[in-house]
Amino acid sequence: MAEYENPEIPEGINVSATHPLKDFVLLVGGISALVLLAVLALSLLAGQLARHVPFAQERALAGSLGRWLPEAPAQPLHRQRQQYLQQLAERLAVAMELPPEMTLTVHYAPTDTVNAMATLGGHIVVFQGLIDTLPSENALAMVLAHEIAHIRHRHPIVAMGRGFAVIFALSSLAGVGDGAMQQWLGGVGMLPILSFSRSQEEQADADALQAMLRTYGHVGDAAAFFEHIARQQDTSEPLAIFSTHPGHEERIERIRQFARQHDTQPPPTAVPLPAFMKME
Amino acid sequence: MYDLLLFLILLLLGYVFGQRAEKRHFRSIIEREKALRDILVFSERRIPDEDQLEGTLVSGNVVISVDFFKRFVANLRNLVGGRVSSYESLLERARREAILRMKEAARRKGATAVWNLRLETASIHKGAQNGIGAVEVVAYGTAVRQRR
Repeated sequence: MAEYENPEIPEGINVSATHPLKDFVLLVGGISALVLLAVLALSLLAGQLARHVPFAQERALAGSLGRWLPEAPAQPLHRQRQQYLQQLAERLAVAMELPPEMTLTVHYAPTDTVNAMATLGGHIVVFQGLIDTLPSENALAMVLAHEIAHIRHRHPIVAMGRGFAVIFALSSLAGVGDGAMQQWLGGVGMLPILSFSRSQEEQADADALQAMLRTYGHVGDAAAFFEHIARQQDTSEPLAIFSTHPGHEERIERIRQFARQHDTQPPPTAVPLPAFMKME
Repeated sequence: MYDLLLFLILLLLGYVFGQRAEKRHFRSIIEREKALRDILVFSERRIPDEDQLEGTLVSGNVVISVDFFKRFVANLRNLVGGRVSSYESLLERARREAILRMKEAARRKGATAVWNLRLETASIHKGAQNGIGAVEVVAYGTAVRQRR
């Protein structure tokens, strides 16, 4: 068979010359970027849709998830404090022209956490630790009005909708079953994980200042809480719960600017807190 | 969390051992192909000068497993399309190895050429949802030697 020959064939003609790791990095990077974009878009969309959930529905939802809310106070003193907070919130709600279907429920928690939060269904939790840092009723009203503004703008349900969309998308991608979903919903027991964006915080601040002006005629002491936090941050580590809030310096500055614009003569005097509000 | 860790370990193991095995395999294929170059292989069915030759069936088959890394990359590739380069080298190895084994069988029979070469590919995977698949290639043909 002399007429046939067997030439040497060059290597690599049947195989693409890409390095397997390069292929891997490109695929993983590209696909995760796409997934990330899709999840982000989904979460923003869910936030937009959540805004249209009727407040009564939101309230019912909060009721079914509400195990984590502080229990109604048993001690008379605590009850007195809770009632005072509720009345203050309602006064502010009138000034803020809260729609009539939006009802506020203020809870009082006798622990020394320096925080207040707004969550689903018009529930606001105020901790004794916060009250102890405040010099006057005006300062407390500023914090309360800030939380009411969150509720008025439906921030908690928007945050919940966004979080829900992200978890839903990721768990369905990862193939996690319904059980995990249920667990997460149970875990929303930790509702404070709802976090608001910076622009939402700024919006709430602006509304709160208007409410202060309408209720008291001035915005004295409005920055008291943030000034306290700013002082604290110099000494101790920053509190994680405030990490999404605008910088305190920035906030204090914005409040002072607002105060300058609405200057009153003579200088305003703050309404003192009732004696029973302070930790004995 | 542990799932993710396990996954990354599997991926790393798949990559390290898979690449090592592949490099070694290609080296061995090239070397043996050189040694068996004098056996000519044709896909032509009709054997010329048939009356002076005697033919026997020879075959060689090989099964190569896909490693975890290759499978993962190929699965990602499934989403976006394009050349699945991680499987290309796998099939190339399998085909060449199968032909080599067939040629070795021909050599043992004292043949000088193999006519009517056929290749068949099968995947040992079908129906297994999460098992790592393997590819089988079988090469067969008619080995011929001078009639004595």
